[in-house]
Amino acid sequence: MRAPTETPVKTPMRGRVALQRTALLVLFILAWWVASLFTPVYVLPGPDRVAQRLWMLATEGDLFGNLFTTLVRVLAGFAVAVVIGVPGGILLGSNRALGAFFEPVLPVMNTVSSAIWAIFAIIWFGLSPLTPIFVVLMTALPLIITNVWQGTQAVNADFVELAHTLRFSRMRTLWKIYVPSILPYFFSGARLAFGFGWRVSLVAETLGASSGVGYRLRQASDLIQTDQVFAWTIAQIVMMVIIEIGILAPLERHLFRWRRDVRT
Amino acid sequence: MTITPAPDVLTAAARHHPVSGSGSPHPHAVSFRHVSKRFPRDGGTFEVLRDVSFDVPAGEVLAVLGPSGSGKSTLLNMAAGLIAPDGGQVMVLGHPTDGNVDWSRLGYMFQDDRLLPWRTALDNVTLALETGRTPKAERRERAQSRLALVGLAEFARSFPHQLSGGMRSRVALARSLVTEPDILLMDEPFSRLDAQTRTTMHEELLRIHDERAMSIVFVTHDVEEAVILADRIVMLSPRPGRLHTELEVTLPHPRLGTKEALELVGELRAAIAGMNADWVI
Ligand SMILES: Nc1ncnc2c1ncn2[C@@H]1O[C@H](COP(=O)(O)OP(=O)(O)OP(=O)(O)O)[C@@H](O)[C@H]1O
Ligand SMILES: [Mg+2]
Repeated sequence: MRAPTETPVKTPMRGRVALQRTALLVLFILAWWVASLFTPVYVLPGPDRVAQRLWMLATEGDLFGNLFTTLVRVLAGFAVAVVIGVPGGILLGSNRALGAFFEPVLPVMNTVSSAIWAIFAIIWFGLSPLTPIFVVLMTALPLIITNVWQGTQAVNADFVELAHTLRFSRMRTLWKIYVPSILPYFFSGARLAFGFGWRVSLVAETLGASSGVGYRLRQASDLIQTDQVFAWTIAQIVMMVIIEIGILAPLERHLFRWRRDVRT
Repeated sequence: MTITPAPDVLTAAARHHPVSGSGSPHPHAVSFRHVSKRFPRDGGTFEVLRDVSFDVPAGEVLAVLGPSGSGKSTLLNMAAGLIAPDGGQVMVLGHPTDGNVDWSRLGYMFQDDRLLPWRTALDNVTLALETGRTPKAERRERAQSRLALVGLAEFARSFPHQLSGGMRSRVALARSLVTEPDILLMDEPFSRLDAQTRTTMHEELLRIHDERAMSIVFVTHDVEEAVILADRIVMLSPRPGRLHTELEVTLPHPRLGTKEALELVGELRAAIAGMNADWVI
């Protein structure tokens, strides 16, 4: 993240980290395999069996379809949360009276369990895609509002004054000063909201949906197909890791390359 | 309460210049007329400037000298229209700052560099041009040439945290110059540069000043810097800031290291010492 000259120094470090991660994974699978030798298959299926099941679901089953369905729902709920939460957070942060008035709402929203949102959603929307979307929305919204709100508090008044001397319009100041200042806060909020959103969407789907990863997990557990439960679990973990490593981490590195690296 | 400098302070190199009245055919770049300012503190207020009047004639470099807290930055903030005086009036290019001043003709280099950390050096300079009229390619071109002028052409793509304090000041200078202002307000712009770079920047600033015939209001703590650059020096007393001395410097450039300049520096230092003795009660 710093000057390009430092990149070569970091490469052996990165290689070591990759080695460590692989070792951890191998150790985990080994422990799992040993444990599975002494337990009935419906309690703890071995890694070989789960891998087989995963392969079947991927090649002849509905693995990707359901992962996609759930992902779309999470993204939909998340998108609505962003569309409401970003202007909402900016509004609350820029208007003291409004902020003070609505302040208690966010912690209260945060205390409501996603299971409760799911139950409400089933009452209102029934077994429909709207149920997981609603639950994701209600979980993500307070996180995004809170972070954007915090971001508006962190906008440097000196930079606003600079924009003033350049005679920027309000819109231009918002766009050139406020938005970049808030972006890091928004990003960490959005990341949190996306992770939470994914987890609660599974809860919502087990309770009130007829498709998606959560629905298939419950189905498999109802039928005591423990190997399928494991396969779905692994599939969704892998997907989240890919999204994290493949999209979010590089995006964050690029967006915030101007930040001084506080690690090392 | 009137303060007059000791009569023997000012020699042939500089002569006492009475505060000029209005009525000149060309409007002054900036005029401060009986300006006073108070700031709130601990429930009450405290006085920062008291009845300060002086003019910045068009095309001149005027240095404002004064101890810390005497309201120098406050004066510039008023000239930039960021804060309003409590009493009196500030005029920019003949218009009161609460009236219709053409602000695009004014550049302000703050005491801190105020670079946006998320923008590269180049993009920090282009910021000043991002008011809609200049096309993007031209903005970048002009910003790049300004960066080259302050010796930072190679660092255009560096972020502020990758630059030294002195380099950051120079980026800020490039940003305030890129709009080609007629009036440039500078608040201790070179205080973080080493002596050698500062000398280069002084030469550069005077060169730009000659080319563009700008008016410059230059705040500094450094008597020598004021003498090297200024056509006119205004000295403020300690808080509350009042006009202590106004003098014109007629020495030819370059002044660095010349006997006359050194003499004037010595005289001004003596005047400041006297002023401080007067005001420490
Ligand atoms: N916005 C403000 N609100 C309250 N007090 C202020 C404000 N701006 C300046 N002051 C106070 O006014 C006084 C003069 O400030 P100013 O920055 O003008 O001094 P200065 O002459 O520029 O000092 P220095 O040489 O240290 O930069 C200081 O005591 C400062 O604390
Ligand atoms: Mg100051």
